[in-house]
Amino acid sequence: MSAEPLLEVSDLSVRFDTDEGPLQAVDRVSFALARSEVLGIVGESGCGKSVTCMSLVRLLPETARVSGSVRFGGADLLALGPRRLRRVRGREISYIFQEPMSSLNPVFTVGDQIGEVVRRHLGLSRRDARRRAVELLQLVHIPAPQRRVDEYPHQLSGGMRQRVMIAMALACDPKVLIADEPTTALDVTIQAGILDLMREVREKLGTAIVLVTHNLGVVADIADRVIVMYAGRKVEEAAAGELFAAPQHPYTVGLMGAIPRPGERRERLEEIPGRVPVSSKPLERCVFADRCRYADETTRTQVPDLRPVRPGHLVACFHPEAERAA
Amino acid sequence: MSIVAQEVDAPRVADSRRRLRVLGKRFLRRPMAVAGLVVVLGFVVVAIFAPLLAPYPVGYTDFNAILVHSSSKHLLGTDDLGHDELSRLIFGARASMQVGVLATLLAMVVAVPIGMLAGYYRGWVDHVIARLTDVLLAFPFLILAVGLAAILGPSLLNVTLALGIGSIPGFIRIARGETLALREADYVPAAVLNGANDATIIFRHILPNMTNTLIVQATLTIPGAILGEAILSFLGLGVQPPNTSWGTMLSSAEPFLTQAQRLSVYPGLAIILAVLAFNVLGDGLRDVLDPRTTR
Repeated sequence: MSAEPLLEVSDLSVRFDTDEGPLQAVDRVSFALARSEVLGIVGESGCGKSVTCMSLVRLLPETARVSGSVRFGGADLLALGPRRLRRVRGREISYIFQEPMSSLNPVFTVGDQIGEVVRRHLGLSRRDARRRAVELLQLVHIPAPQRRVDEYPHQLSGGMRQRVMIAMALACDPKVLIADEPTTALDVTIQAGILDLMREVREKLGTAIVLVTHNLGVVADIADRVIVMYAGRKVEEAAAGELFAAPQHPYTVGLMGAIPRPGERRERLEEIPGRVPVSSKPLERCVFADRCRYADETTRTQVPDLRPVRPGHLVACFHPEAERAA
Repeated sequence: MSIVAQEVDAPRVADSRRRLRVLGKRFLRRPMAVAGLVVVLGFVVVAIFAPLLAPYPVGYTDFNAILVHSSSKHLLGTDDLGHDELSRLIFGARASMQVGVLATLLAMVVAVPIGMLAGYYRGWVDHVIARLTDVLLAFPFLILAVGLAAILGPSLLNVTLALGIGSIPGFIRIARGETLALREADYVPAAVLNGANDATIIFRHILPNMTNTLIVQATLTIPGAILGEAILSFLGLGVQPPNTSWGTMLSSAEPFLTQAQRLSVYPGLAIILAVLAFNVLGDGLRDVLDPRTTR
């Protein structure tokens, strides 16, 4: 990892003021993203991973109260004016959504939609924009791009639409690509193709990727480094290989126990008992205490800080695997 | 699932032309709508070529033939001033189509942006616009139009203005409702994240998605305006002689209701036919353009 991170998030907190009172969706999350790094963010539904990503590009509704900072290119994205923010969105930082089916506007051809982005940000002419669109469709391996460029979203399959979304996201050579569950809505076979594509993008264009997913297999496949989130907090962070070889947080261990592995005979998959707590205010104890089999007095009365158990491996737990074994 | 197959699919007969063909087929399966379209097109052609089609020019009076019945010289007879009825009907079509189309266009041009602003920004903008619209909607369309026409003074242009303004609240409501729904579509945040500003999102991403609804609303507003023009002209607030419209014809025929019913029947039939045709066409278009229609 280079010394100067491309994107640096510090103490990011997001709170929603709902009718039932405040809801802490993200709680003091910090991380850094290096150039052309693939960072995976995993966790179950409602753990705040999507909210974290959306707050990076300020896509949250007005009821969200965001604090902390997101340093990118010498500026704090959270404090950027609307004009400068628009210049970052789509040009420096791109975003891919989970739903390729509905993220494309049904009344325009895909060429129009990709072209719109490059015309806006790069000031290309209509003709050049179209040429660029064909180029991009080729880049994301859509067959017969010359023809596809004039087709409407409904004429494309889900996998192809997600490829179009990626093409659109890459249109201006962004430095960061945020992919929020990019493969969740797709068939398994298509998923692999999309992941290959993202890996290729990183290698060819040097784009750094933040990959949000609940699928550990996806993360294991392409991420360099992984952040595990639970109930709005970062509970563990490590290089992907390290994390899978020696998970430290009982939650991470639990997640891995819940993945079926081919060739392994087990009576049943392990599950983590209980549900993700919905917290209204920062808890004065470990967020995972209620579901943790190692919970004790300390866990229930104090908040575990993130601390390194090994070089580059952070965990927020009083009883990480490494220390229990010892 | 056929997703895998589609990923590598073979060339397909592409694009919008095919969609148009499908829509055309669906339309043709609705005889009422087709009839409506034919009649509407007929009226439009008559309106455009009125000076060529009418046997006599505007204001031509034949003093030798007053209140005469149909003859080879005057196919539909003449009125009390010796005006040729057929010529008046033909020029009347011109006035009616003009008012119907222009008033609707005016209402759309004014109302759609306002409605979209309300629906897109919500908050106080929406509150103000929605309440004002409610106030306008509380006036019956005709009362509003009559009041406006009375203030503006009688002329074809002012009738158009009055009816156009009277049609604004309905369009605002539709544009607002559609925008409220469409702004939640996933392609809106997708566009935001590609750096689009509000204007781009409203006009490039939301507006084209509501054209179907607007087209249908327009085909239903036009007959309202045609009827409104007839009523205003009948009341003397509209087209003034020697210019003619179906409403003025009815108005001048009214004293002869017992002696020459045909003078009321011809323009009356024309109005009914035109209004009915537009309504039927609008209904048909609504069915055809509705993506849930399968037939």
